[in-house]
Amino acid sequence: MLEVERIQVSYGAAPAISEVSIRVGAGELVCVIGPNGAGKTTLINAIAGLHRIEAGALRLDGRDLSRLPQHAYCDRGIAIVPEGRRLFTGMSVRENLELGSYRRGARARRAESLERVCGVFPVLRERLAQPAGSLSGGQQQMLAIGRALMAQPRLLLLDEPSLGLAPAVVLAVFSVIKEINAGGVAVLLVEQSVAMALEIAARAYVLEEGRIAAEGRPDELLAQPHIRRAYLG
Amino acid sequence: MRWHALAGFAAAGIALSAVPFFGLPAFYESFLYLVFHWVVLAVSWNILSGYSGYFSFGHGAFFGAGMYTTATLATKAGVPFLWTLPAAGLVAALFGIALGAVVFRVPRLRGELFALLTLAVTFVLATVVLNTPIDGGPGLYLSAVPLPAIGPSPSSIFYLLALAAALAALWIAREIHRSKLGTGLFAIHDDEDVAEVLGVPTYRYKLAAFGVSCGLAGVAGGIQAMFISYVTVGETFSIAVPLYVVLMSVLGGSRHWFGPAVGAAFVTGLLYAFTAGDYAVAGRAAVGLILILVILFLPEGIFGEAVGWLKRRHRLSATPAAAPVIDVADIPAPAAAAAGKGGGEPMLEVRGLSKAFHGVQALAEVDLEVRRGEILGLVGPNGSGKSTLINVVSGYFRPDSGRILFEGRDLAALEAHRIARVGLARTYQIPRPFAHLSVLENVALPAMFGRGALKRADAEGEARRWLAFTGLAAKARSLPGELNLHQRKFLELARALASRPSLLLLDEVLSGLTHAEIDDAIRLIRAIRDQGATIVFVEHLIRAVMELTDRIVVLSYGRVIAQGDPRGVMREPDVVTAYLGKPYA
Amino acid sequence: MALPSLTLLGQSLLSGLFIGALYGLLGLGLSLSWGMLRQINLAHFALAFLGAYLTYQLAGAGMDPLATLAVVVPGFFALGALMHWVFARFSVSAFNSLLVTFGLTAIIEALIQWIWTADFRRLESGYGEVKFRIGALYVALPELLTLAMAVALSLLTWAWLRYTYTGKAMRAIAEDAPIAAAFGVNVRGLSLLLSGLSAAFAGVAGLCLALSYTLAPAQIYAWLGVVFAAVMLGGLGNPLGPLVAGIVIGVSEALTMALTAPAWAPLVSFSLLIIVLLARPGKI
Repeated sequence: MLEVERIQVSYGAAPAISEVSIRVGAGELVCVIGPNGAGKTTLINAIAGLHRIEAGALRLDGRDLSRLPQHAYCDRGIAIVPEGRRLFTGMSVRENLELGSYRRGARARRAESLERVCGVFPVLRERLAQPAGSLSGGQQQMLAIGRALMAQPRLLLLDEPSLGLAPAVVLAVFSVIKEINAGGVAVLLVEQSVAMALEIAARAYVLEEGRIAAEGRPDELLAQPHIRRAYLG
Repeated sequence: MRWHALAGFAAAGIALSAVPFFGLPAFYESFLYLVFHWVVLAVSWNILSGYSGYFSFGHGAFFGAGMYTTATLATKAGVPFLWTLPAAGLVAALFGIALGAVVFRVPRLRGELFALLTLAVTFVLATVVLNTPIDGGPGLYLSAVPLPAIGPSPSSIFYLLALAAALAALWIAREIHRSKLGTGLFAIHDDEDVAEVLGVPTYRYKLAAFGVSCGLAGVAGGIQAMFISYVTVGETFSIAVPLYVVLMSVLGGSRHWFGPAVGAAFVTGLLYAFTAGDYAVAGRAAVGLILILVILFLPEGIFGEAVGWLKRRHRLSATPAAAPVIDVADIPAPAAAAAGKGGGEPMLEVRGLSKAFHGVQALAEVDLEVRRGEILGLVGPNGSGKSTLINVVSGYFRPDSGRILFEGRDLAALEAHRIARVGLARTYQIPRPFAHLSVLENVALPAMFGRGALKRADAEGEARRWLAFTGLAAKARSLPGELNLHQRKFLELARALASRPSLLLLDEVLSGLTHAEIDDAIRLIRAIRDQGATIVFVEHLIRAVMELTDRIVVLSYGRVIAQGDPRGVMREPDVVTAYLGKPYA
Repeated sequence: MALPSLTLLGQSLLSGLFIGALYGLLGLGLSLSWGMLRQINLAHFALAFLGAYLTYQLAGAGMDPLATLAVVVPGFFALGALMHWVFARFSVSAFNSLLVTFGLTAIIEALIQWIWTADFRRLESGYGEVKFRIGALYVALPELLTLAMAVALSLLTWAWLRYTYTGKAMRAIAEDAPIAAAFGVNVRGLSLLLSGLSAAFAGVAGLCLALSYTLAPAQIYAWLGVVFAAVMLGGLGNPLGPLVAGIVIGVSEALTMALTAPAWAPLVSFSLLIIVLLARPGKI
């Protein structure tokens, strides 16, 4: 469904990622792991349209994405849960969720989506009127995921959802991600926390210093020395 | 060089002061008076606003203060005209310093807020002057005040005074531009926080520049008061002065001491041409249009662009681009005796350090020590507090609680710019060079403001040595924007080293570099330590940490979870769990 | 200093209320574009005056003053959108937008002076004649109109931002434009819309100026400081802010004028502003 073919993205003069190719099939849960600075956020931002690619191709269902204006990516079925959440902190929880379903295709079913999201995250239902900035870290992460779900995406992008969260909360977030994927939404998850990511992924890529160092099923990767070496030396 | 400039100024002064004696039509004298008048105003404005980036929209207030000081002293106190001028300058300068003393203490009042605040001050002053006996409403008439008779016609005195003021303003601007104060102001323009951390006393410098700027404006006001001989609040405090000085400096080029003078001459000429042709109104419209075009298309101003173009041509033809090569042979003498690998007695002690941001505990009761002569690695997963620790120790943030003792001194009590003098330096994860200063000037600055407090010539010599050390010698005259990431990181390094620190904090200096560049960097860091510096090295790249460090400290969620020998620590169960999760432990 | 009569005090308060409403109306567009688009439009005042002069001209030609809005509003909307387009095209920073609009102010002022000269102009309309009586106090129709416009536009904008989908999208843009775009918000289009709206509001303010005041090009700057003070005190981007802050300032000024001398009034707003900026600049 999603085809990323040998893309290159730079910040300033030097490339942050180059020759990166990944695939996500419909309904798959794929994760990209790697140490900090490897380029994971750059990769996911490029797929979400937040950053232009300089070389290579970006295709969804066979159609080229790279020429589209930024606000058209969502229409094609991509929704992002960005690094650091990037909620609209001055606005209420309800308003953040409503904005998630801003795109034409999702607007009509807004009420229905809201119900569903509150079902998945009961803690949000109690706080609909509160400003998003007043929520705890874990609740904010839930809200960010909920906001993305409101867009009725076919591909959900998550950038380091475990960042800044206590271990118990991370467990809760990841089990939700698994549920969402079970419901038929393809998920591309970028993570620094290896264990959690490999536990739920069907396939994984290891990104190191801007390039793909390894790929395969979690059990295959665990057997190889790449991950341990990349993180622990 | 100084003598050449002095001679040039003297020659220009003599030549121009002869003009009234040529018996030319009065027009020339009046026109030139206006040019000199605006040169003083624009050049003086530029000293604070152009150099440091603190755009003031209130130059009219200080000009007005000077005007009214002269008017009041001359009419009500009978002070001879010439003596009122220094008074005018002094009153305006004191007013500016008083305002600056309060405003510069508030860190958020920069950029547009500073501009609007200074504009507001103008209106306040105008109202006060209008409603108190200073003016009271009808304005002040100075036609009865006796004028000293110098020169062929009664009005020649104004021409000569304005000429003298313009030359003085230009000379002062030039001296400041070349001085330590000027370098500091330019650094403040590009990145005030970094400048402060490198040792620039930003508060004092801004105050000094503001005082000089206002004082000169006051003198120009004093002269103008006599020239027009009828002073009213409306005319004095109108929008004309703030608008025109901004335009003239921006048009001419605000980074150079001569730029505003070019702009002043150009705009005055333009306005005169329009007024002469009865198109005064269109003149003002033209002024506005030019300002817009300059902001959009010529950000450096006419003079600035010209100078920049010349410099670029000179640079391109002079040196070829060379790949950075580390020349470890040409190393400056060690700052402190090397205690050998492994480390000696504690140099930096951190006890119970805590820091929270918006409810997130970034650092929680951190205890660690850094021993003299060692390379200490600081590692941990993303968000564990490594960068926060560097920021707190180097004075960028204040800790919530805990103590930081550097060679026995409590750092938390020091102002940020004093920390550089104490012998501590750091690099930034994302390089923050001063964008408008050359590579050489970037590295010379800490040498001038840091522990050594060297003179400019010596500082530049020192800077050259550090540039050679980091392989950037060929790029000395380039601007940081022309360097690639690797070179910019090495520039950060050279800049940190130039302040002769005994403790160097490196924040992710390797991120984003290629394999070969990383090997280069590792060799360089080792060489730095071998010279006698102690290094704290924050890094994600584990192979570099293993190669370089003597000891490591592991942070997780703001706490220290392990410390000791690198290989051993990375095998500890707590550490493995922190990075990979329980299954791996 | 004799205490003025109750009637005088009441009349002062009332006039303070009305002038405060005009401050609010003038500040509305400015606050919106500054708070949401990071565009500091110093030329907002010149635009308002241009609108006032246009109203004067068209009304002089026989049009009902209120009907002139049909011409002014769309025209100014286009101008505002164009301005934002230029700013976006040249990536003009917030600070540089201040400088560019500084220049624009000079151009518009020169244009006004060229067409209408520096002489004072007063719009004589039927509206000016109508006065209402509330007890011992008099209220002129133009003032009432100003108040009504200010309240209506502020409330409508507030409601738009708070309750409609596009309004919420606009607030999202102000907070984090790239993420708003990632969720399908047309950032470019909405920004052009808001910029156009701000300029249109300037046009409406111009109508109110023309109805109540004598016009002269130099007057443009008289309002500058006070309205900026109202905008900053009310909080950038808050549609009700300029109105509330404006009324507070207007009433304080009126009281100052009644209790001391009229000329001290300008001091009130600036002193308030300076104090607020120094005490808690974080609010802005």
